[in-house]
Amino acid sequence: MYAGPISRLIGELSKLPGIGQRTAQRLAFHILRADDDDALALAEAIREVKEKVGLCEVCFNLSEGPRCRICEDERRDRSLICVVEEPADVIPIERTGEYRGVYHVLGGALSPIDGIDPEDLKIAELLERVDSGVSEVVLATNPTTTGEATALHIAASLRDRAGANGAVTVTRLASGLPVGADLEHADEVTLGKALAGRRALG
Amino acid sequence: MPGSIKTQAVVLRSIRYGEADRIVHLYSATRGRIGAIAKGSRRPKSRFGGRLEPFFRLNLVLYEGRGELLTVTGASTVAGHARLRADGGALMAAGRACDSMLRLFDDGEPNQPAYNLLCNYLSLLDADPAAASEPGAALAFRLKLALAAGFSPELGSCTRCGEAEHLSAFSGSAGGVVCSACEGDGFPMTEQAHRFMVEALARPLAEAPEAPGRVAALSDRAVTETLEHHAHVHLRAVA
Repeated sequence: MYAGPISRLIGELSKLPGIGQRTAQRLAFHILRADDDDALALAEAIREVKEKVGLCEVCFNLSEGPRCRICEDERRDRSLICVVEEPADVIPIERTGEYRGVYHVLGGALSPIDGIDPEDLKIAELLERVDSGVSEVVLATNPTTTGEATALHIAASLRDRAGANGAVTVTRLASGLPVGADLEHADEVTLGKALAGRRALG
Repeated sequence: MPGSIKTQAVVLRSIRYGEADRIVHLYSATRGRIGAIAKGSRRPKSRFGGRLEPFFRLNLVLYEGRGELLTVTGASTVAGHARLRADGGALMAAGRACDSMLRLFDDGEPNQPAYNLLCNYLSLLDADPAAASEPGAALAFRLKLALAAGFSPELGSCTRCGEAEHLSAFSGSAGGVVCSACEGDGFPMTEQAHRFMVEALARPLAEAPEAPGRVAALSDRAVTETLEHHAHVHLRAVA
């Protein structure tokens, strides 16, 4: 229906997550109408990100060089590792301003249904890092079924190695009610965890 | 015809979709396998909370429009299975059970015995996570599920000639045990593994017999090969 280059652009855009054929058409026509500078800047940004961004050799976070900004920061506490599923999960933890340790990005979560086994994640690399003077591992995988299964698997693996390498404290992010939420809408598992983890006031 | 339906279902699978939505695969007592979208369910203040995670048993209100997916408009918990979620082995066993349901049953095929069996197994995993995730219970679930789906292996006599003695092998293509004369493409089956499968089918799930190493491996292979040949589905190994 459209000239070759337009059809190709629509085809490529429609491969993006959450973008259907209609949205892809709308975006393609927006790009066609845009200034040359703006459209080419988008193309250049995509090219640059694919050429320059890779994974940090230490923590597997996204990085422009061999090591990411966090692993290169001398002020970070290297005895504390926070384990997350994806690079995007580092950002919300950084935004809290509460965490001064380093990270380890697993690259997903265990999911037997999808065929994702421990060997498909960066778990062996995490265990190697823990052997070199780490005192605490914070498991910050998502509080989903796959995230919980991943956290339990890592905790068990660390426990198994503890004998040889001394005790490493393994902690899990607390589960509970979001600020501003209603008790009425809380599910029973979350509310149960919130009750079990209640703290004394004052 | 567009409209709301109420049904009880177990969440088999939950997939992130878009910015804050979720697509859930459900197995309902009255409607069989259902695909539904839950809009905004990943927002921290969503009224669904964590209820749309796998293994929750829910009373649901769903809106059925013209599309393939229904829309979740209400959910209340029947069973959340909190203890199951704190045990790695139980989580894996429950995941395999839900995966089996997804693969064995098609959309819109309600199967009340299969639904009851899944609910029963999830309850057992919640009550005693360590025991219920042992291979014996997991294989008993799978055998009973194959029975509910109509693919139960023949264990009483040779599947090919009807001989009741000398049942020394199992053939997935024949769909059951075979005698020494009909062995063909079958694999050797020990008496213990044969007895385990018979007892696992006969006893309630809560009283499933134990399946030590080789017994579990042979029984697992027997069920897996039967389902591969006759239901055309491949399930992940239990043992």
